[in-house]
Amino acid sequence: MTEFGNLVLSGLTSGAIYAVLAVCLALWFRVANMLNLAAGDFAMIGALGVDLLARVHGWNLGLAIVTVLAVIALIGLVYDLIVLRIAVDWGRAREGIVAIFFFTFALSFVLEGVAQQVFGTVVHAAPALWPGNALDLHGLHVQRAGLLVIGFAVLVGAGLALCLRFTLVGKAMAACGENAIGARIVGIDSRRFRRGIFVLTAVLAGTFGILGSPITGFVYNSGAGLSLSGVVAAAFAGFTRPGRAVLAGLAIGLLEAFLSGYVSTAYGETLLYGVLAAVMLFRPQLMGLPEVAH
Amino acid sequence: MALAVSDLSVTYGDFVAVERASFEVAEGECVAIVGPNGNGKSSIAMAVAGLADRRGTVRLFGEPAPAGDPVWTVRRGLVLVPERRQLFPNLSVIDNIALGCYAWTRSLKAALRSDAVAHALRFFPQLSTRLDQKVGTLSGGEQQMVALARGIASRPRILIIDEPCLGLAEIVSRRLYEVLAAMNREGRTIVLIEENPARALELSHRVIRVQNGIVVDGARSPHGGGGGR
Repeated sequence: MTEFGNLVLSGLTSGAIYAVLAVCLALWFRVANMLNLAAGDFAMIGALGVDLLARVHGWNLGLAIVTVLAVIALIGLVYDLIVLRIAVDWGRAREGIVAIFFFTFALSFVLEGVAQQVFGTVVHAAPALWPGNALDLHGLHVQRAGLLVIGFAVLVGAGLALCLRFTLVGKAMAACGENAIGARIVGIDSRRFRRGIFVLTAVLAGTFGILGSPITGFVYNSGAGLSLSGVVAAAFAGFTRPGRAVLAGLAIGLLEAFLSGYVSTAYGETLLYGVLAAVMLFRPQLMGLPEVAH
Repeated sequence: MALAVSDLSVTYGDFVAVERASFEVAEGECVAIVGPNGNGKSSIAMAVAGLADRRGTVRLFGEPAPAGDPVWTVRRGLVLVPERRQLFPNLSVIDNIALGCYAWTRSLKAALRSDAVAHALRFFPQLSTRLDQKVGTLSGGEQQMVALARGIASRPRILIIDEPCLGLAEIVSRRLYEVLAAMNREGRTIVLIEENPARALELSHRVIRVQNGIVVDGARSPHGGGGGR
């Protein structure tokens, strides 16, 4: 029973990591119809940036966090004002989703390159926000950072889902992704929404990096793998539903933990992606995609 | 004058869709812009609403409208119901209509309880039974009703409606025209884009003719000083 409980906790912790990245991807996709493949890199900058300022340079932890999140917001803002304006507002979007896909991919490469120069190539982690040994609850080992990440994922996912469902601003966000011209016709500034949500999701990813880095540690090239995990979880939310993305992320984490724990440690990840591929092929409606008519 | 357009030109690459079009619409007027398909009527509507790049000037109630800024235009009371409706197919009927209120509120509660939404639904009672249905699953006529209801919810002072009857059954077209006539009687300025001049004259007080992107007739309002009919 203890083994099962520890597997559940481990699965929920890794699932929460997928969930946060999936929320960031799903929210921005909902507004801009684009995948942000640099989301994981913002998490990396959050973790390594706070580590650099607080641990290496001795800054006050709170000040370091605020500074790093402000820098992340600024990167997101400048990226939108320069690159996305060229990519989308100047009509490059007509070249198709693949062209746009490479714009955020390129940002990921740039952030990785800069991070390598600034943070080096060694694994680091931001100082724990809830320091201390793992909690022992009746034999269950609960990582404090894991609890923070799970709480953050649930809070952000639920908050955004409620916003999309019950506020006019949330519906305006959805409208931007559904039909940008229609949105502008009713007076929604879809470009400002795109910019705001890109900055918001970058800051959310950065916050996740700060909260979660004590679990796994970060290195300059951790971002791409994280973004990919987020893409997989976001896919099961049809790329557009932040609340469902949290559930999908947690479910994938649990599945991964059970496959590793009860089937095979070595092939756990392989089996996981096999199961996910089978779901995509045979139950596409679970991903919010329509079934193909025969 | 509610709307004054002068020297409006719209080009797509090398193609000139509208060339130095000038016309005016007085407050409370119902004016039709007529002409064959492909002669620039919709381009005029899109450019006036700020949705197409343009040269020339557009004034709303005497205030110059910035080019390429539809948000400014909507907030000043000019609302476009475009030819292809531009609805949000995966959102519900009520969400689509409520988003029309975004021009004047950020509160969903205020939007849903507003006289504007109630007014829109009074015009189209058949939508009341389908409020939670996704708009993409409605018929063409029902979608046109949602588009017009969304426009009404924006509390427009000037409503530009582009080919409202295109592809619709006669009974639905009649209903839409009745609604537009009622809105005009309430004092709203209506600019109707219509291919069929005979149909346009059923509703409008004046016709502006467009041919090959040029306004050839009817540009001046008989109510030059404004003030409505």
